[in-house]
Amino acid sequence: EENDVSEEVLVRDVLYACQGIDGSYIKYDESVDGYVLSDVIKVPRATRIMVHKLCELGWLFRKVKGYISECMDHFPAEDVGTVGQAFCAALQDELTEYYKLLAVLEAQAMNPIPLVSEAASSGNYLSLRRLSVWFAEPMVKMRLMAVLVDSCKVLRGGAMAGAIHMHAQHGDPLVHDFMKRLLRRVCSPLFEMVRSWVLEGELEDIFAEFFIVGQPVKAESLWREGYRLHAGMLPSFISPSLAQRILRTGKSINFLRVCCDDRGWADAATEAAAAAGTTTDRGGLGYGETDALELLVSEAAKRIDKHLLDVIYNRYKFKEHCLAIKRYLLLGQGDFVQYLMDIVGPELSEPANTISTFKLAGLLETAIRSSNAQYDDRDILDRLRIKMMPHNTGDRGWDVFSLEYDARIPLDTVFTESVMTRYLRIFNFLWKLRRVEHALISAWKTMKPNCISSHSFLKLQQAVKMQLLLTLRRCQVLWDEMNHFVSNLQYYIMFEVLEVSWSNFSNEMEAAKDLDDLLAAHEKYLHSIVEKALLGERSRSLYETLFVLFDLILRFRSVADRLYEGIYEMQARSTDASRDKKRRQINSKSAEPGSWVSEGRKALTQHAAKFLTTMDQELDDIGKKYSSLLKGFLSQLPIQQHIDLKFLLFRLDFTEFYSLSLSCNVNLAK
Amino acid sequence: EARVSAQRNSETKGFSVESFSSTGAEKAIGCYHASVQELIVIDDLLSALVGIEGRYTSIRRIHGKEDELTFQVDPSMDLALQELAKRIFPLCESYLLIDQFVESRSQFKKGLVNHAFAAALRALLLDYQAMVAQLEHQFRLCRLSLQGLWFYCQPMIGSMNALASVIQKASSNNYAGVDVLNLLQSQAKAMAGDHVVRTMLEKMAHCASSAYLEILERWLYEGVIDDPYGEFFIAENRTLQKESLTHDYDAKYWHQRYSLKDSIPSFLADVAGTILTTGKYLNVMRECGHNVQVRVSESSKLRNLGSNHQYLECIKAAYDFASGELLNLIREKYDLMGKLRSIKHYLLLDQGDFLVHFMDIAREELTKKAEDISVEKLQSLLDLALRSTAAAADPCHEDLTCCVERSTLLKRLSTLKDFEISKTISANNDLEEPASITGLETFSLSYKVQWPLSLVLSRKALTKYQLIFRFLFHCKHVSRQLCGAWQVHQGVRAANLKGTAVSRSSLLCRSMLKFMNSLLHYLTFEVIEPNWHVMSNRLQSAKSIDEVIQYHDLFLQKCLRECMLLLPELLKKMERLKLICLQYAAATQWLISSSVEITEPVLGSGRESVFRSSSKTLKFTENATVTDSILKFETEFNAELQSLGPILSNQSQAEPYLTHLAQWILGVGNEQ
Repeated sequence: EENDVSEEVLVRDVLYACQGIDGSYIKYDESVDGYVLSDVIKVPRATRIMVHKLCELGWLFRKVKGYISECMDHFPAEDVGTVGQAFCAALQDELTEYYKLLAVLEAQAMNPIPLVSEAASSGNYLSLRRLSVWFAEPMVKMRLMAVLVDSCKVLRGGAMAGAIHMHAQHGDPLVHDFMKRLLRRVCSPLFEMVRSWVLEGELEDIFAEFFIVGQPVKAESLWREGYRLHAGMLPSFISPSLAQRILRTGKSINFLRVCCDDRGWADAATEAAAAAGTTTDRGGLGYGETDALELLVSEAAKRIDKHLLDVIYNRYKFKEHCLAIKRYLLLGQGDFVQYLMDIVGPELSEPANTISTFKLAGLLETAIRSSNAQYDDRDILDRLRIKMMPHNTGDRGWDVFSLEYDARIPLDTVFTESVMTRYLRIFNFLWKLRRVEHALISAWKTMKPNCISSHSFLKLQQAVKMQLLLTLRRCQVLWDEMNHFVSNLQYYIMFEVLEVSWSNFSNEMEAAKDLDDLLAAHEKYLHSIVEKALLGERSRSLYETLFVLFDLILRFRSVADRLYEGIYEMQARSTDASRDKKRRQINSKSAEPGSWVSEGRKALTQHAAKFLTTMDQELDDIGKKYSSLLKGFLSQLPIQQHIDLKFLLFRLDFTEFYSLSLSCNVNLAK
Repeated sequence: EARVSAQRNSETKGFSVESFSSTGAEKAIGCYHASVQELIVIDDLLSALVGIEGRYTSIRRIHGKEDELTFQVDPSMDLALQELAKRIFPLCESYLLIDQFVESRSQFKKGLVNHAFAAALRALLLDYQAMVAQLEHQFRLCRLSLQGLWFYCQPMIGSMNALASVIQKASSNNYAGVDVLNLLQSQAKAMAGDHVVRTMLEKMAHCASSAYLEILERWLYEGVIDDPYGEFFIAENRTLQKESLTHDYDAKYWHQRYSLKDSIPSFLADVAGTILTTGKYLNVMRECGHNVQVRVSESSKLRNLGSNHQYLECIKAAYDFASGELLNLIREKYDLMGKLRSIKHYLLLDQGDFLVHFMDIAREELTKKAEDISVEKLQSLLDLALRSTAAAADPCHEDLTCCVERSTLLKRLSTLKDFEISKTISANNDLEEPASITGLETFSLSYKVQWPLSLVLSRKALTKYQLIFRFLFHCKHVSRQLCGAWQVHQGVRAANLKGTAVSRSSLLCRSMLKFMNSLLHYLTFEVIEPNWHVMSNRLQSAKSIDEVIQYHDLFLQKCLRECMLLLPELLKKMERLKLICLQYAAATQWLISSSVEITEPVLGSGRESVFRSSSKTLKFTENATVTDSILKFETEFNAELQSLGPILSNQSQAEPYLTHLAQWILGVGNEQ
């Protein structure tokens, strides 16, 4: 044997190299990036190859060790995070195992290798071939660690755990077990975070590694914006839906704590933990127990969501407030609305800038006291306010008046500003509708006393009388038409829209399992009202037509009032005249009877004819405009997507009066 | 990508053997004495056994082909020694091949089966290396000769050789997943003669399949595909949503959401279908939010792939569990039978009062042209009819909706591509649409079906129900019209009309009525009811949801066939007959009023007449056109009815149920 160095020395050098230490013959070479046996030493080729093969372990070790020490050195200062730390610790533990093996091997390497020529002293020696058997398993593990180190270098937190999890998908049982052990360690900080978040609502995340991120916001937007998922940090072994549930559970706890000022959730959390078979203390969850995690989360979510809803329903009386909003803001309480309309009506006809809010508030209070609303909860009534919207010059009180409902914390999570603006829009629409209805009814009041019978105008000329009757009839017919429209629209809005939506909403409210469900249900409720009540974006043109129609009806009301005023005046005058005549006849049976009377009669007739002509024209004008607008409105209705609007069309056009006239027109046009 | 490159990097580190091959031996071996030569050769061979070149042995690689390499010895060696050494070289070559294979197949992207296989091979190689180390020890103790080495290597040679050939096949075809398993199994079977090799290969197959069986286990017990490398033999098509079942005619979701791939492990080939359905059932339950946990005990673990077929038992048990559970769920919680019964009430006209009421109130809307009909109006009328009749007691009545189709029944039948009728009809190609089809022909009910019942009541099943409904509905309509005509006849009974055209018309009316009623009787009592009973009994005893689907489909198919909907020729005849009936019914009013004069009694003509004939007198007036048209109707109707006879008797050879129909509607005609 013609070797420069004996095998024992080489074995010892290999052992050193495998711990990252340069031996006397085997040294780390920068240029090849590996441990090499220096070329000057003469050894057999087989030995050289063998040494080279074994030294791969050293190269891998260097890599792993380098990563660990880098992380450890930089730890608190740099961005390693608790997961990275756990990873390093787990790697370190694996290395400890490895050191143990090396120590055993080292001891064996001390025994001399017997040469072929001499008799063997002991069988317990270490040759390069034996070493390669010993190194087979550590090599696999070390390679795995090196791969992990390579791929995890740039990752942190949940992303790192996810990346390691991807590597655990390996069919080799050895690798599989190794990865499982490693992941259990690596994921423990993450699972700890999940546990404390789900059971205590604490975000113990100093290094921003968790897949839930919190941000400081105001209490009212805590639920919507306070916390969100950070997709990058979500490890792949936690499904997005589970993550969503985790997020919501912790959010619920925080919501209870911050907004509801509630402590009862702690019991719920303890109960949940007990049901899931763990305690609220640290630890207890680990990688691979996805079922346990899911169980814990679902138990916790179930109880905490229930508790949250209990608090919102019972302590904060959510349902009562919703109902109150429906009754006052959506004009569900008829007697109150009627009375309010009656007493604030005169006030609101004034220009907007002259109206005092205080006075209106007083009137509101009066309306409450004199209607059944007075038996409502004081807390609810106190939240009802008058709100004057910003006004332009020329606005009347009607245009700016609105009611407002003050939803305090925590209900402002549901009734946010934007939600309240939508309620306000609905209120304005309903208020306008009510006002129009009110106006029509009061017009009816003036028209109703049917004392304007033709006999009081006996003295008028036949032609004028006919004209008067025609005008009255026209007025009456127009009123009927308008009333039909308004009352059907009113019916549609109140019953088909509001009540149906409310009934759906209250069903969903019963079925809601968490606050998100509740919010969604409320959103759906509001949306369906807005859509069906023509307030939506798609029905904008319809809505505008509707408002023009309303204005026209209001104009009609004033015209009708004027007409009847004029008629009453004429009536009064003619009765005066006739009484005069009678008196005269009684008093002085003069020679020229009828001269004054005939003159008076003539003036009266003239006056009446003129008045009636203008009135007739005006009514005619309104009638024409009204019918063309209504036609437009009805023809637009079927184009709307919403199916319920078709029912409105049926209702308005039940006798097919409008559709017939429409098709007649079409036929005529042809 | 970083992962893979790192993997490569760390692998090539240890494997750059080629760079050393240039450093040759210093002296030719021939200069040594033979005994020294033997020692040197043994040392070299021990290196070669673990794939390392020695002083006088070298590896020759053929460029471009990774797995073709040969060992060579120095030609100056003693010839006897050379021969001895050369015997051992195949073993060394096998070792190198296997080692390479292990290295390459441990990479992540190669798949779980390859990983497991590589791990098993690595364990084997470790044993082999340990053996070499033992040989080295013997060598150092001077107890090893070249002959001895050869002897000690014997047990390994067979297995290593067999493995090397397997590996060569696997790597040349770049097998992964199922193919590897199949290869191992077939190879093990092929080596049946060699007991050692066979057991070794079987062990390999066992190890390689363990990871695969875990995937299988999750699928069987949880219905989850946990298959990161796409090796499992069941593929999932995530684009298909369960909601599609309610409108997709072909029920793609059920048939294609999960499907078998082409390559199935040979040991599972027989039960692949069972495995697929088991997981499918579990999935359905999970989609329903019904959490099922199969209790996994040690005995149900799929571990042993031996010849005892324990895994087959496990699969069977899992299948029984899943199908039983799902069937229970659908039967109990989702009340399948209740739904079917409710559908029968409405779509198969089993609940009369609702239909009569509906026909009364919706007649005006239904007589409009199909395109003028407002479906919303019909829907609200339908709701009205449902709520004001006994149907209101049925909790499912809210699910009923209505729709108006665009085409006639025959046309619709021809568009359904999976019925055999379509061919025969399109071949005839005489399907001109009638100019005006009214709602009565195209009206149809529909039914909202929720998941998971949409598995059974799929779009296709509902379509079949609708076809039957349309036919029945129209028959009912005709029958009602005829009843109206009959009433008109009754109104003039007081007059003595014997021998006149009116009495003839009355007879015709009655025979038409009899025809329609017999037809309806046949359809409902002879076809639908018995078939329904058969199905309902079968459903009670069904063991799996697939069976339920199958029985239900069978029922529908049978009903369709026996209702003549699949026999276009017959169906056309029926339509023709119904048309004549309708025309006649429509004409009746005119016929009667123009042939019977109702004279108001003249007031002054005497009081007694008022008492005698209830204030009216009926007087028959002979009218030639009336008589003609009645005769025309009669001949037409009779001709059609007669022509039905041969068709029915012809076809009843193939379709025995038609004899029943023939008996019912032609019973009188046959006697004559």
